[in-house]
Amino acid sequence: MAHYELRVTAPPHLKGKEEVSHAMRDVLIALVPVMAVSIVFFRLYAVVNLATGAITAVLCELIMRRIMGKKATLGDCSAMVTGLLVALLIPPTVPFYYVMIGTVIAVAIVKELMGGLGYNLFNPALLGFVSTLFLSRLWNPISYNLGGISGVTAATPLTFVRPTVLSGVRPGYWDLFLANAGGALGEVSVLAILVGAAYLLYKGHITWHIPVSIIGTVFILTAIVGENPLYMIMAGGLMLGSFFMATDWVTSPDTKKAQIVYGILIGVLIVLIPLFASITGAVAYSILIGNAFTPLLNRLFVKKKFGEVKSAA
Amino acid sequence: MKLKTFRGGIHPPYSKEDTAHKAVEVMPIPTEVVVPLLQHVGAPNEPTVGVGDQVEAGQKIGESESFISAPVHASVSGTVKAIEERTNFAGKSVNSLIIAAQADQPTKWTESKDTSSLDPDEIKDIAKDAGLVGLGGAAFPTHVKLSPPSDKPIDTVIINGCECEPYLTCDHRLMLEKAEELVGGLQLMMRAVGATKGVVGIEANKMDAVDKLGELLSSREGMEVLPLEVKYPQGNEKMLIEAVNGRRVPPGKLPSEVGALVQNTGTAVALYEAAATGKPLIERVLTVTGPGIREPKNLLVRVGTSIGDLIEQCGGFAGTPGKVIMGGPMTGFAQKDLSTPVIKGTSGVVVFTLEAVEGDEERQCVGCDKCVEACPMFLMPNMIVKHVKRGQYDMADFYGARDCFECGCCSFVCPSRIPHVAYVRIAKAEIAAAKKK
Repeated sequence: MAHYELRVTAPPHLKGKEEVSHAMRDVLIALVPVMAVSIVFFRLYAVVNLATGAITAVLCELIMRRIMGKKATLGDCSAMVTGLLVALLIPPTVPFYYVMIGTVIAVAIVKELMGGLGYNLFNPALLGFVSTLFLSRLWNPISYNLGGISGVTAATPLTFVRPTVLSGVRPGYWDLFLANAGGALGEVSVLAILVGAAYLLYKGHITWHIPVSIIGTVFILTAIVGENPLYMIMAGGLMLGSFFMATDWVTSPDTKKAQIVYGILIGVLIVLIPLFASITGAVAYSILIGNAFTPLLNRLFVKKKFGEVKSAA
Repeated sequence: MKLKTFRGGIHPPYSKEDTAHKAVEVMPIPTEVVVPLLQHVGAPNEPTVGVGDQVEAGQKIGESESFISAPVHASVSGTVKAIEERTNFAGKSVNSLIIAAQADQPTKWTESKDTSSLDPDEIKDIAKDAGLVGLGGAAFPTHVKLSPPSDKPIDTVIINGCECEPYLTCDHRLMLEKAEELVGGLQLMMRAVGATKGVVGIEANKMDAVDKLGELLSSREGMEVLPLEVKYPQGNEKMLIEAVNGRRVPPGKLPSEVGALVQNTGTAVALYEAAATGKPLIERVLTVTGPGIREPKNLLVRVGTSIGDLIEQCGGFAGTPGKVIMGGPMTGFAQKDLSTPVIKGTSGVVVFTLEAVEGDEERQCVGCDKCVEACPMFLMPNMIVKHVKRGQYDMADFYGARDCFECGCCSFVCPSRIPHVAYVRIAKAEIAAAKKK
């Protein structure tokens, strides 16, 4: 028989069709409802910020990987997801260059300088976003004053959880659920977030464990501290954060038990942080702190192996 | 009715349709066979014949004093040409006998005698003398399995008819074509270990085999067929026991711990044939298939036949071969060349074309947890890989490296194409080396 160049690798020799890019494409699809509603409400403001996020992220990744002499990985779509998430975290009244700065920090520093997708300890979009919160204090303290442009945007409804913070017309539950023009782009409609989340759940890219434990914890704790729990979970960035960011594959724990503990931890922080500091960015800070606990949770909540019986001692 | 199964696992494309309906074809005796002296898990054999000796098919040619060992027999009649190191399926050098086959091969083992009077010790001796090993691939000596520790009584003997490996159909064909022998083998095994229950576990994609054996077993006390959910790796010993009687074998323990004994379909048939006709294990049924094979077949093949001969028997390659795998595509061994001989544990040869094996570069883990969900042993393959990369083998063990039986579910579902099994093997070797120090 003729000689053939045969490949010798370890088994298995069959591989599934799963690809990172498919999952990221599905995340993009899942973001369509919330992006659509935000564009309906904020028109050009939303279009500009979303486009800024997406374009900046893609260019940033291209340039970074070129500089570092690595193969381009744009095909996995993860950069675009990051850019869009940064845009969704920021109120439409905030100038687009904040979105740009946040995205550059997210993609160039938090993701690529850490080694690229999979190496980052923190959620790039969230770290990019909170960096803009810091920067805004340094040189433009008013841009995050959530007042908004009259007739176009309003303050994040989350501020109405504590009536002392702001006076104004508090949006009703149905407005929050369907659509309202307050806060960041991604806070525009609970329903839109849930539709996208349902798609991700259906596709199996995320499971209920993290979002349900975050939202459940926030609901219960808010009731305990004597505030309106329903309002707390529907207003603000909790839905976007719980379904689209805390569930980030790379930065969340790997076992179901660890994920539930992670969700509870984040939920507790979301309720506690505003008690001592600003409510702005509370969800983001909480998830980032949760990210830092991920390696520890992976160590503490290992699955019980097949057939393993915990000794009674 | 909901079929029984285990937790975790995957649904790979089964691709069995090319050979599932093809009756087993007897392959002509090759001109030369290479019979490795070690074909099982355990101590190697020493040759009992010398170069130049005339040997007869079925004659013992390698033996060991050790209990955990199985003798090997000449698979053809002919002359011992050489005794030398040859590369085996796993790429290791093994002392092997090269036998040139003579033109006329005797017809033997045609007379069948009654096996109902054999006692447990006789059955174990027959298994040992016939050189029986597990034919599913692990190749553990059968007589050892039939001799569990006396403080661990076996109540259930399970015949593994799952054949969960994609592409392979040899067990399926055996269940259809040698059903009576299979039942006979099961009966002998139950008697050998004193079990009261005998179960044939078959994945529900082989309902013809379920029906056939169900018919044969319907009149027999304590024996039944159990159709199981089609899911990989249902045919793993631990997964099969859980599906059959709900018991989980603890980590690092043997099935006898939960009163079970699992034997492969082919092993049961071979035990019956050895007991009834005296035929030692010198041939087996295997499947030669895959997109890279022109004419896929189930073949009855003498041990020692080269895979090159098998492929020729199946019309040669279709297209340019990229990977030639001995065993199934999930756990089998990729071969460097076609000279590797078939051994007792070889369940098939699967060939993929060059185009099919290109690409698939390993990328960084993205933490999707799909491997964690798929692992039937509830380990954390992602964490094992992470710690092997860092050289932290104790941590790799913490996440279950030594409990892994290398089914490959993790790699199958991995969107980053990480070869977890390769990392697990490194971890196992390093952990074993550290233990020795």
